[in-house]
Amino acid sequence: MKYTYDDEADIRTTALIRVMALFFVGIMIIAATTSPIATGTKEGERAPALEGKFYNGSGWSDFDLESYWDPTWEAGDISGQWVVIEFMDTDCPYCVESAEEMGANAYNFGGGSDSQWDGAIVNFIASVTELDISGHDSSRAEMIAFRDKSANSGEECAGSECGSRPGIAHNFPYIDDLDQDNMKKWNIGGTPSYYLIQPDGIIAWSSAEHKGEKLLDAIVTLVPRESA
Amino acid sequence: MDPNIQLMIYVIPLVIGFLMILPLGRSLFAPLSEYMPSLGNERGRVFSGLLLTCVAGMAVSFQTLWISSKISEGGNFCASNSILSCDDVIGNVEYNADPIFGIPWGGIGAATFCILLYFVYSSSKEPNADWVSSYLKMGTYLTFAGFFVIALLVFYEFKMEKICQYCTTAHFANIAAFIGFLRLMRMNQSKEWNTI
Repeated sequence: MKYTYDDEADIRTTALIRVMALFFVGIMIIAATTSPIATGTKEGERAPALEGKFYNGSGWSDFDLESYWDPTWEAGDISGQWVVIEFMDTDCPYCVESAEEMGANAYNFGGGSDSQWDGAIVNFIASVTELDISGHDSSRAEMIAFRDKSANSGEECAGSECGSRPGIAHNFPYIDDLDQDNMKKWNIGGTPSYYLIQPDGIIAWSSAEHKGEKLLDAIVTLVPRESA
Repeated sequence: MDPNIQLMIYVIPLVIGFLMILPLGRSLFAPLSEYMPSLGNERGRVFSGLLLTCVAGMAVSFQTLWISSKISEGGNFCASNSILSCDDVIGNVEYNADPIFGIPWGGIGAATFCILLYFVYSSSKEPNADWVSSYLKMGTYLTFAGFFVIALLVFYEFKMEKICQYCTTAHFANIAAFIGFLRLMRMNQSKEWNTI
């Protein structure tokens, strides 16, 4: 005998198929209409928030990394401003050593008066932490002395007077991350660590993913310029 | 379309569903039983209300998942300087996903309402099957567990000093679904399951 429908069929199967179909339709609509980007610290991810008070040469105010982002920016657009973030510790010898290079990069790519750079502006930011290592004892006064290269400040950076560090005085913001909040949020393994971020807030380059590669080379390679 | 007006697409069926679930639904919806016989008895009315509630809850949860995906692209949907700003809540990467697996809350809500919809839909189709009582119990427990998630998310909103109106609608759907499942479970445990 031929059955036109199954008397033994369980409604649960039909219900399950219908509800699952609804669920997958919902997921497919979201997949078709959005391109979500994860927030994280790997290349291609959206940079997480960077919070705290920052020193800009005159005083301390609230820092807002979001204010740098332009969601309408498109790849190749030279008018967008890029961001370099350095995670550092004023008592870390490598950070003291790299201060000269950071100062020169900030001047050359950040719109210095006699800079030869004809590409997009690169803004520099330093997030200053205090590593849990014996002898690392930082303070806001030490951060200011390091940034401004203040002579005879009485502050010591990695065993030397902060004002005697190599390079020029820095004119970019220094964020107080002495409590390591930003460092933990960004999963920073050691200092100095560098991130080059696109104007739309997406991480373009991270020193953790390019061991041995210099920040300068990353900027020249990735940041668009007129003469390229 | 204004996001608050768009929200009404979910709020209206949710409120209708909730009214059907409540005892006062008898006086409100009994006159419609001529056209929809299932509304003529208590069990059918609560089942119908619960179906509407779960569909609305699932849809609004999908919408919050969509909003969180849109925000991650760098866009915005319902950003506002007022206390009602779902972008600020859903876009907050510290709170917009569960702390264990990192699944967006909207996705968890959509999956949960799908499970609830399955429980109520299959039970409404075969109300006298032997598995119905266990489905109604599971629906009650699941929606009760949702209260703890709601408490956590309201705590997050309190910390952010912002309210996400889409999330609140999904929370309300869970509360309405809990009442519906609880009422059905009690009806099912009584001898009048087939007479009320």
